[in-house]
Amino acid sequence: MFSTLPMKHLRIQLLTCDLPEASLILAELGVFAPDPRPILEAELPSIPGEGYRHLYTQARSRFDKIARHVAYTDTLDNKEVHAVSEADLQLTNDWLGEVWSDCSEFEEERHRLRDQLHAIDELEQTLDNFSNLNIDLGRLQQKSRFLEIHIGMVARTQVKQLEEAVGLAGYLLYRFLEREARTHVIIIGALDGESAELKSVLDTAGFRPLQVPEALHSEPEKAKTSLRKQQTDLQQRQQQLESRSAAWRTSIARHLSAAAQTLRQAAPYFQVQNAARNQGSLSAIQGWIPAREVVNAEAGLRQKLHNPLVLESRNPTEDERPIVPSFISRSRLLKPFSLLVKQYGIPRYGEVNPTLLFAVSYILMFGMMFGDVGHGAIILISGILAHRKLGSFTLFAVAAGISSMVFGLLYGSIFGYEHVIHAIWISPMSDPLYMLSMALIWGVGFLVLITLLNIINHLQQNDPSGALFGENGILSLLLYGGLLWGTFNIYQDGAFGVGAAVVALSSLVALFAYKLMGTASPPGERILVAAIETLETVTGYASNTLSFLRVAAFSLNHVALAVAVFTLAGMMEETGYWITVVLGNLFILILEGLIVTIQVLRLEYYEGFSRFFAGDGKAFKPLTL
Amino acid sequence: MNSSASQTYLKTRVNIFATQLFTDNRILELLDMPLEELSGTFGLTGIIESPLSPQKLNHALEQSLLHSLMSDLSVLLRPLDGTSRVLLIYWSRKFALFNLKTLIRCKLNELSLDEISSYLHHLPDIIRLPHEKLLQAENILEMLHLLEHGPYQSIARQARQVYEEKNEPFSLDAAIDRSYFQGMVKYSNSQIDRGELKELIGMLTDRQNLLWLLRYRFMYQLSSSETYYLLVPFGKYLDRNRLMELVNLDSFQSVLEKLPPKLSRIVSGTTNAMQARQRLDFSLSREMRRLIRFSPSPATRALAYLVARDTDLKRLNALLQGKLLGLDSELVHEALIPPALQEAA
Repeated sequence: MFSTLPMKHLRIQLLTCDLPEASLILAELGVFAPDPRPILEAELPSIPGEGYRHLYTQARSRFDKIARHVAYTDTLDNKEVHAVSEADLQLTNDWLGEVWSDCSEFEEERHRLRDQLHAIDELEQTLDNFSNLNIDLGRLQQKSRFLEIHIGMVARTQVKQLEEAVGLAGYLLYRFLEREARTHVIIIGALDGESAELKSVLDTAGFRPLQVPEALHSEPEKAKTSLRKQQTDLQQRQQQLESRSAAWRTSIARHLSAAAQTLRQAAPYFQVQNAARNQGSLSAIQGWIPAREVVNAEAGLRQKLHNPLVLESRNPTEDERPIVPSFISRSRLLKPFSLLVKQYGIPRYGEVNPTLLFAVSYILMFGMMFGDVGHGAIILISGILAHRKLGSFTLFAVAAGISSMVFGLLYGSIFGYEHVIHAIWISPMSDPLYMLSMALIWGVGFLVLITLLNIINHLQQNDPSGALFGENGILSLLLYGGLLWGTFNIYQDGAFGVGAAVVALSSLVALFAYKLMGTASPPGERILVAAIETLETVTGYASNTLSFLRVAAFSLNHVALAVAVFTLAGMMEETGYWITVVLGNLFILILEGLIVTIQVLRLEYYEGFSRFFAGDGKAFKPLTL
Repeated sequence: MNSSASQTYLKTRVNIFATQLFTDNRILELLDMPLEELSGTFGLTGIIESPLSPQKLNHALEQSLLHSLMSDLSVLLRPLDGTSRVLLIYWSRKFALFNLKTLIRCKLNELSLDEISSYLHHLPDIIRLPHEKLLQAENILEMLHLLEHGPYQSIARQARQVYEEKNEPFSLDAAIDRSYFQGMVKYSNSQIDRGELKELIGMLTDRQNLLWLLRYRFMYQLSSSETYYLLVPFGKYLDRNRLMELVNLDSFQSVLEKLPPKLSRIVSGTTNAMQARQRLDFSLSREMRRLIRFSPSPATRALAYLVARDTDLKRLNALLQGKLLGLDSELVHEALIPPALQEAA
């Protein structure tokens, strides 16, 4: 919980035909992360499963496209889990290809029917427009010996250029209706054998012809009835299509579920990628595994694989430490805090995992800054009520609410009322200086703890000089301690004190000397850089400590805002008073609540994590089913 | 950075970048350099010496040069915001459209996914197409459907309509190119300093229109009306009326004769579209240098630099390819500095 789990590098030598099965077993265990480095390239030059991966990629893509249209169940019965052969994957892929083809046809048919209905709608509009124009439609619909006439639609943005283009071929373009992004046009010209040229231009311009019913001129009502009939027919065809589509979806749903299972079982071998290598029938697969899982993994592999295998595990080398994935224990309670820590970064392998410290300090600081029984209760209840939306963050809201309630009891504050309940500890406004000094003590404690964690991190990474001389190392801590001691002495006795001065000065000189040696520049620049960096250590600690004053400042702010609300409410009559109190409390709850949430996160990230947590680790991503 | 500071920064940046553009003397120097020295000068030794097939080597060189152009683009984009930034990004999308055309051609030829991937250029995320999704599309229509959401929406929609009607790759390519240029014109109209940008985009459009016109009319034998429809009539010298007049002409030479004097001088004496293109590129490159030095609009300077740099990198690529293939240096020289323009240079 406080650190990443110790990891081993695992190498499994086995027969190539066992690779899919072995990948599946490792995925079932969920503790093996493939290592794609070409360490084994010299002995095992080939990467097996190229065809398999191609098939998987194509099948997966087809499946995902189909799954957007067809509902299926995706449950995997662990008893039936087995490795998927390339032949089986090929069959599934072929089947998915056929299904996607059917699915596309349904989609295309849908588009076609929608377009046809749209065209009828457009035609009705066209006809209404024609009736106003007093044009002899009989001439437009009949084949003429001398004239070529096209009625249709074209994208509005293309009309001008089409007009000019057909003009070059001796045709006239007449716009008669504009709807949305389309313009309805008539193109007319002499019939002299240039039709092919015109057709080509019209096709290039995406011209959509409108078919005018033959009976329109003589019997317009009959034509309109015919259009309505066509419309009804198309709607019926749409319904039939949807019925067929529904039946088709039902017919394939079970097979699709089976395909989903096949793909899930094929996924581990696909995910192994370059971590597996082979030379003919001999293969090896390599990766990272938590040390405590090696025995389990070996037992699982030996039990399920019938052919012999050789399993070797070793500790990561010093060179490998930066690439070893960090396995962070997955506590459900800490999940929301773990997600917030990940926003900053993943702990390096061997680094202290700050999640627990983050969780405790975050909740404590939130309560200190936003202590109010009523507001805490609302946060708590809202968190519980919105648990579906919040997911794992429900726990975060619940913990923050409880902390706020506890500190509310300590401060004696409920919905901003300071005198309804008796403060167990202190009401913040009654002694602001005391609150500020408490915040400073909290900040000092927090910074000392963080610096100790940094020292532990350096020691764990086998970096004693970093632990001693580095930023936030032992010397920095001594310097900080000396300064604090001296400041306390000044506060108590009016003088810095010899002991404190010796500790602070000696650590300051040692730090300066170390930085002086570590800087590669001309002497003058070297002294300047070392002096600035040493000074930065002092100012860094001072400013970071003062940053924690905001813990007290926000607790005072909370009360001050409540006072402002009650002052405003006091100017109102009874109804106005309660409206102002309720709205004021809502304002405090939402606005200040949000600000406090962000401020605590800022303190954690910038005053805390930046001192000890590199956050550039690699997350452990095991094969899973 | 405030607005005037970012404009000053951008102008300075462009001026610094412009020092790496090739002068004619520099090209002559490069021509005389042995291949090893040339590749060393441009940090391409690793690629030149790698044991790649000629095709893969060509691709690797193109990729490396494109990468250098994209690095310049990312630097120039930093101080830009609003529509100027959008325009520069839009210009660079032409490289993503090269990839799209490659994808379409490869799909038509039913190449394997690995083969197709090997022909694609790596581009910055800001303009990159969703290659993985496109590669998994079962056919070209599905591929274009996939692009109908996002920044390539309008190009993909027009291309799909044309492909549905004509079902052949030439029209698809032409539709993509035309839509891309229409987009450029549209974006240039929405700029604050549109006068400056319109001049630049007008020059680019003139070059493209003239090449398309010569190619469609005299190589592909398209009708005048279809050729006209495939052009983008918003150029600096070749306006709507001039283009209508030109597409109606029946011979290559008569088109050259009827061009406005400025363009006519550039392409006079050429006998095919390839030669015309060479001259137009050379001349465009000079115009870009003029804009880099004198344009009051920082966005115009930045775009002009990118266009000129793109032309230079193509020349460098041609030079490298010429040396790799052991071509005669006179021939390479002619390709890089057209003889008719050498005196003017």
